[in-house]
Amino acid sequence: MNYNLNSIAEQEKKSSSWTGLKNLLNLVAEERKRIFLSLSAILVSASLNLLGPFLIGYTIDHYVQTGKYHGVLVFAGILLAMYSVAFVSSYLQTQWMGGVAQRAIFKLRNVIFNKIQQLPVAFFNENKAGDLISRVNNDTDKLSQFFSQALMQFISSIITMIGSGVFLLSINIKLGLATLVPALVILVFTRSVSPWVRKRNALSLKSSGGLSAEIQESLNNFKVIIAFNRRDYFRKKFDVANQHNYKTAMGTGMANNMFLPVFGLFSALAQLIVLSYGIYLITESEFSIGLLVSYLAYSTNFYNPLRQLAALWTSFQVALAGWDRISRMLSLQSNLEVTDSTPAKASESLLEFRNVHFGYTSSNEILHNVNFKLEKGKTYALVGPTGGGKTTTASIMARLYDPVSGVILLDGKDIKSYTPEERSKKIGFILQEPFLFTGTVRENILYGNEQYHESDQENFLAIIKATGLEGLLSVFDDGAETKVLSSGDSLSLGQRQLIAFMRAVLRKPDLLILDEATANIDTITEKLLGEILDKLPEETTLVIIAHRLNTIENADEIFFVNSGEVTRAGSFQEAMDKLIHHKRKS
Amino acid sequence: MKNSDTKGPKQKANQGPSIFSLLKPYSGLIFLLILFALLSNGLNLWIPKLIGSGIDAYSAGKFSYKTIATEFIIVVLIIFLFSVLQSLMQTYASEKVARDLRTRLADKISRQSFAYIQTTNPSRLLTNLTSDVDSIKLFVSQAIVSIVSSLFIIIGASILLLSINWELGLIVMAIIPIIGGTFFIVLGKVRVLFKKSREVIDWLNKVINESILGAMLIRVINSQQLEYDKFFEASNKAKDIGLSILRLFAWLIPIIVFTANMAGLMILVLGGHYVINGKMSLGDFAAFNSYLALLIFPILIIGFMSNVIAQATASYGRISEMLERPDTIEKGQLEANLTGAIEMKGINVNYGEKPVLKQIDLSVRPGSRTAVIGPTAAGKTQLLYLLSGLIKPDSGTLTFDGHQIDEYKSESFYQKLGFVFQDSILFNMSIRENITFSETVTDESLQRAIETAELKDFMESLPEGLNTSVSERGLSLSGGQKQRIMLARALAINPNVLLLDDFTARVDNQTETRILENIQRNYPDLTLISVTQKIAAVEHYEQIILLMQGEILAAGTHKELMNTSPEYVQIFNSQKSTSNYEL
Repeated sequence: MNYNLNSIAEQEKKSSSWTGLKNLLNLVAEERKRIFLSLSAILVSASLNLLGPFLIGYTIDHYVQTGKYHGVLVFAGILLAMYSVAFVSSYLQTQWMGGVAQRAIFKLRNVIFNKIQQLPVAFFNENKAGDLISRVNNDTDKLSQFFSQALMQFISSIITMIGSGVFLLSINIKLGLATLVPALVILVFTRSVSPWVRKRNALSLKSSGGLSAEIQESLNNFKVIIAFNRRDYFRKKFDVANQHNYKTAMGTGMANNMFLPVFGLFSALAQLIVLSYGIYLITESEFSIGLLVSYLAYSTNFYNPLRQLAALWTSFQVALAGWDRISRMLSLQSNLEVTDSTPAKASESLLEFRNVHFGYTSSNEILHNVNFKLEKGKTYALVGPTGGGKTTTASIMARLYDPVSGVILLDGKDIKSYTPEERSKKIGFILQEPFLFTGTVRENILYGNEQYHESDQENFLAIIKATGLEGLLSVFDDGAETKVLSSGDSLSLGQRQLIAFMRAVLRKPDLLILDEATANIDTITEKLLGEILDKLPEETTLVIIAHRLNTIENADEIFFVNSGEVTRAGSFQEAMDKLIHHKRKS
Repeated sequence: MKNSDTKGPKQKANQGPSIFSLLKPYSGLIFLLILFALLSNGLNLWIPKLIGSGIDAYSAGKFSYKTIATEFIIVVLIIFLFSVLQSLMQTYASEKVARDLRTRLADKISRQSFAYIQTTNPSRLLTNLTSDVDSIKLFVSQAIVSIVSSLFIIIGASILLLSINWELGLIVMAIIPIIGGTFFIVLGKVRVLFKKSREVIDWLNKVINESILGAMLIRVINSQQLEYDKFFEASNKAKDIGLSILRLFAWLIPIIVFTANMAGLMILVLGGHYVINGKMSLGDFAAFNSYLALLIFPILIIGFMSNVIAQATASYGRISEMLERPDTIEKGQLEANLTGAIEMKGINVNYGEKPVLKQIDLSVRPGSRTAVIGPTAAGKTQLLYLLSGLIKPDSGTLTFDGHQIDEYKSESFYQKLGFVFQDSILFNMSIRENITFSETVTDESLQRAIETAELKDFMESLPEGLNTSVSERGLSLSGGQKQRIMLARALAINPNVLLLDDFTARVDNQTETRILENIQRNYPDLTLISVTQKIAAVEHYEQIILLMQGEILAAGTHKELMNTSPEYVQIFNSQKSTSNYEL
């Protein structure tokens, strides 16, 4: 499956504004009742507001001009009552519609996050972290702006327009149709330029995603920039991204701002049509001056919301571009499906690789026909030169990737038939690059641990003692309560590795994989780690990847991994020989 | 409530320079922008007049289609022209301001010290550069034009109202403070919620970011549900705040419309009274109604724009705080031709309250090799950061050839000092660009660095060789390959002093030995300071330093330490069983 969001974009054909709108409205499908209620509230307040001027005009004609002040007061009372009703209904309309929008955004955010959680590691390898983050934060924000601000105006503008349109056509059909001709031109114009405008907006979103990615990379690597005296590198790279962003944003801004003047032009032309055609109709005795004046008002009422729609159209286009980018992500599916459990294939070993082939891309195979078995309770070492395929083998053991062909059997069953819960309970994997969450050391150690996750400080210390881990906590300033700031940057690499180690050990997996897990830990602490591993239940199987030979010399069996092949080394000495004499072919 | 009241003025005082000062360099652009806006808006007021005169002409029997159409079309086209110019100017000015501001920010950030970047959250800097700049952009493109043209209309309409009938005019104008007051109160309350909502959004983003950066761990542990729960909590909170903002905002428009309607009612009741009593003409009465309609919209706009201005001011406050930070000053004049004679005396380094390095005394001879060993979190990496000038000592002196680091031109200093960091830091460019990261690298030194780092075979095995690009987080390379590229990057500048931070942790022994031999052969005069975990590899070094909890416990040759330092012997013994196999 292709997970690269930017390359997917190029293949996919653009959906129209209309289908985009329909998709967006699907998000609020469950709220039909609320939407209906708020639509009626909008209808009530809009018609009351349209009726107001008419009543005032009526009062002027019938009471002010005739000097009947009592009637003026009566109608003032009626108007007061009407305005009060409009007051309540317009409050309710905002409240209800806004609630719908807030919940829609809430739902959308949750759906996106949930989708990201379902996608496999390969997805994260193929997309830049900065770009993904911008997609989730920025694009959702654009949509949320649309929902919370624009949508309501959108609806009430459309209702006012329809109301005025009805008045225009019902007073005089000929003049009404003539008045609406410029609106038709606007419609055609909008329809024909919208796809282009949307493309511009998508480009602009893409370039601001690129800008974020640029900033993120440089800030995270700031020490290299200083130590190699390349402060100008950050500036130059940023300038390029900034200039690019400026150009696309400028083009997009021009495209977005084009609607307003055009709409203004055509609504003014509509007035000219009303005036001249209206006067023509008056000379033909089909119309009256009084009607002409109210006609002008109604045509303003029709075209003003249209102008507002132009402004809203822009935010709609931005929202649609954001939605396109998001829905591309939502359309992805995990390629790591759970298959039906196949009957046991008679394998007594805990884990077995059968004819496994693997490559990150289809053109470049990394593992070639790998076969091996891991028995319960034994310790295995994977040795071999850098880049030989050790980490890849380990990642496949933990089903971070599926092999291109071949089978991996866990406890005699295809690893694909295990649910993620079952699998992650059985397999622990300490990654080469430890990752920590903001919080405390304790929270990080207990992260994802179903058994202990509710332990308080005291309980936690008891658990740590029982597992023999207490010696490891002393390297943290405040022990288990040491704060972990911004993804672990406040701790040294060795400290982060210790946390990852404790995290994995406390989960008590059947198979524990350590991928260079102690590379940056001093040898004395490392001995301690060795003792802790020895204390694990006897049936625990260990797979250790390391460059330090002492960490592997106690292994029951050694596999030599080189150039995508995994071979069994008979003894420690044989593995040594291979390491010394086999030239790296990678 | 009281609380927020007392906070209000204080916050304002802290907001720093006015956002308008930002616009000074663009005064020409802004002037044109306002001019075009006033012209197109002002001409728009002319259209009703044209229509009116058309109707009058018809009543007088002098109506001519040709004149009315010509006049009308000319005015409309001029309006179109000016509004196109206005929107071009809006886009141009706002994007230009945004771009320049970003450039200034990036420039400023690039001149900060490492310690500053480390303590300031990079995600905050990212916010500065993206959303804060965006809200200023919105201010330039929307707020300025809207406010100027709204003020123009409000003042104009008010003058007209007062001139027709000052009593009724004053009553109608009473809606201005009422609407203004409503805005003030509602927005005041909303602002507190906005601040909260920003915090929640930050929290939300943090959860999202960690779930993306830690994707692999989450999949290994299968903690997707846990992450979703964390996210859901934040997301739910964001929804709740959004709903409370909405509850406040929902009052705003109805109150304003109601107030305006009340004003219309007053005109009807009072104005009707005047008309019946003959104090006012019917035409004036009608005009009052239309001016009222004219008055409301701009007041609304100013109200909404005040929010845009408030947000932009807050953003500009954050930005200018950054912009006003002092640069790290380049006062060094000396050309660094480092021999490798390094002297540290009584150095202390604290991170906040916590001492990281205590009373460090150390001297390194030119061309010698020094190893630093010690347990996790002993301060080894900090020692290297200190030597490379990334951090500064809180007390004590560090000299290279008798001069402190800041006496050297930083350009020439960093040309002589190579640093291989512990964590793999590769940029999203080709391998060649990653290695020749410093601009002074020649082809020859590039080749030598690649050979020394044992990368030649690997490079040749890649279809695109050195031009292969490294994906953002370097995922397509193994840990050892990344480490060796980092070494090549440091060697490519032909350094006199090389700092290695646990370089060998991810490289296999065989390769490591070859690399260290290569370094000795190809860079014979190099002064080497190497943080390491393995004693065997450094036994023959001229000096070994044992660092524990920020203090130098022992220093000397391997032989000396074996006789004097029990801690060293302990570490040595922990590795002894393996020393047989070190290659």
